[in-house]
Amino acid sequence: MESTKQISIILDNTLVKEGLCAILNNYFAPIHIKQYAHLNEILAAENESTDYYITSSEAFTVDIDFFLPRRHKTLLLMQHAATPLPQNSAHAIQSIACNSTVEEIIEQLQTLFNRDTHTTQTEPNKGLSSREIEVLQLVVKGFINKEIADKLSISLNTVLSHRKNITGKLGIKTVSGLTYYAIMNGILTSDDIES
Amino acid sequence: MSLVHTTIQLSEVVEVHPSLIPVINRFGIRLGLGDRTVKDICLEHNLDEDFFLTVINTFLNEGYFPEKKLQTFHTSLIVDYLTKTNAYYSRFQLPNIERHLSSFISMSSDNNPSLALIGKFFNSFKDELLNRIEQDEKNWFPHCLDLNNKLKARAELIHLTESESMDDSIEALLYDLKNILIKHISGSYNENLCYAVIFSLTSLEKDIKQHNRIRYRILEPMVKAMEKLCL
Repeated sequence: MESTKQISIILDNTLVKEGLCAILNNYFAPIHIKQYAHLNEILAAENESTDYYITSSEAFTVDIDFFLPRRHKTLLLMQHAATPLPQNSAHAIQSIACNSTVEEIIEQLQTLFNRDTHTTQTEPNKGLSSREIEVLQLVVKGFINKEIADKLSISLNTVLSHRKNITGKLGIKTVSGLTYYAIMNGILTSDDIES
Repeated sequence: MSLVHTTIQLSEVVEVHPSLIPVINRFGIRLGLGDRTVKDICLEHNLDEDFFLTVINTFLNEGYFPEKKLQTFHTSLIVDYLTKTNAYYSRFQLPNIERHLSSFISMSSDNNPSLALIGKFFNSFKDELLNRIEQDEKNWFPHCLDLNNKLKARAELIHLTESESMDDSIEALLYDLKNILIKHISGSYNENLCYAVIFSLTSLEKDIKQHNRIRYRILEPMVKAMEKLCL
């Protein structure tokens, strides 16, 4: 599954904020947007899960200490495009003007999302590891997490994280779904499963 | 998407969203809508206009779910709607998927054993859904109506507690069934029939999602609140 982008919008203009949300939801779903009027609300709630920040140039200047280290994942909203910031490629902060056309805005957002940030690089959807296959086999045979942990001599948390990874990689949540996946892929034969 | 309101012609809405057709059918409205407005049609069929619009709007907009408003509707209206969705699943949508699935399995090459497994998986999903429907009809819905009748005499206000979001096993199975086809199908198979299966699964999924939102976020909290009052 593609990971959902976490976007924090820090703007005090409700209409601009809502407009931006509408564009983001229309063209970039699945995303998760959090709205803030001021940066201190983020600082209060934040556990650094945000992938991208969108804010105004004013807010950026006020809280430059916060945004400068995060400039690669920050997008500035300018009132007009007339006075572009000096853009040195290395330090460039991406910006869009509020009076741009929707098409231009979408393009700018695409550029932002296509930049590599450390947080959004997800592992390519590889096959299951051998450990995950072992866990899968036991899940399908009807063992509960605690029993699986005992059998493989690993902690319950490790079992849970294996299960989470299996579901993530296969896109299958239920035990019945996993059972059919396992049979279809020769991980188990139907004889292994007591009916 | 803008919300449907009383003065709009129902035909205009259905034209853009044909997926609404089964939903309006549940209210006894049939096609041949002409240019009548939502208001006209509700009058004609003796429907609660507010309830009808809320159901349609929550069906069309995944983000729209006015809990407060829904909770003001009469229990019997909600139970009646859920009963009709159940009937639609068991009488039409499940047989429809089954029909597509069985031709999908028989028309695809016979040496693809994974297709038969998908058929089996569907059967286990079907059993679970039919089982829930039976429980609803035998136990839960009568229980809801019964509570409601008991309380009617006392005309007390119900205070609802927040309901936690439920992980519904029916939704999860449906999701898996679809994903097994989309992500994991292998070997030779008939593409068109596979699409027909996925399409019919998707439309059931959409319907069940709305059913579940009403079920878990409206009816269930209402029933819990009524149970407390009856103690």
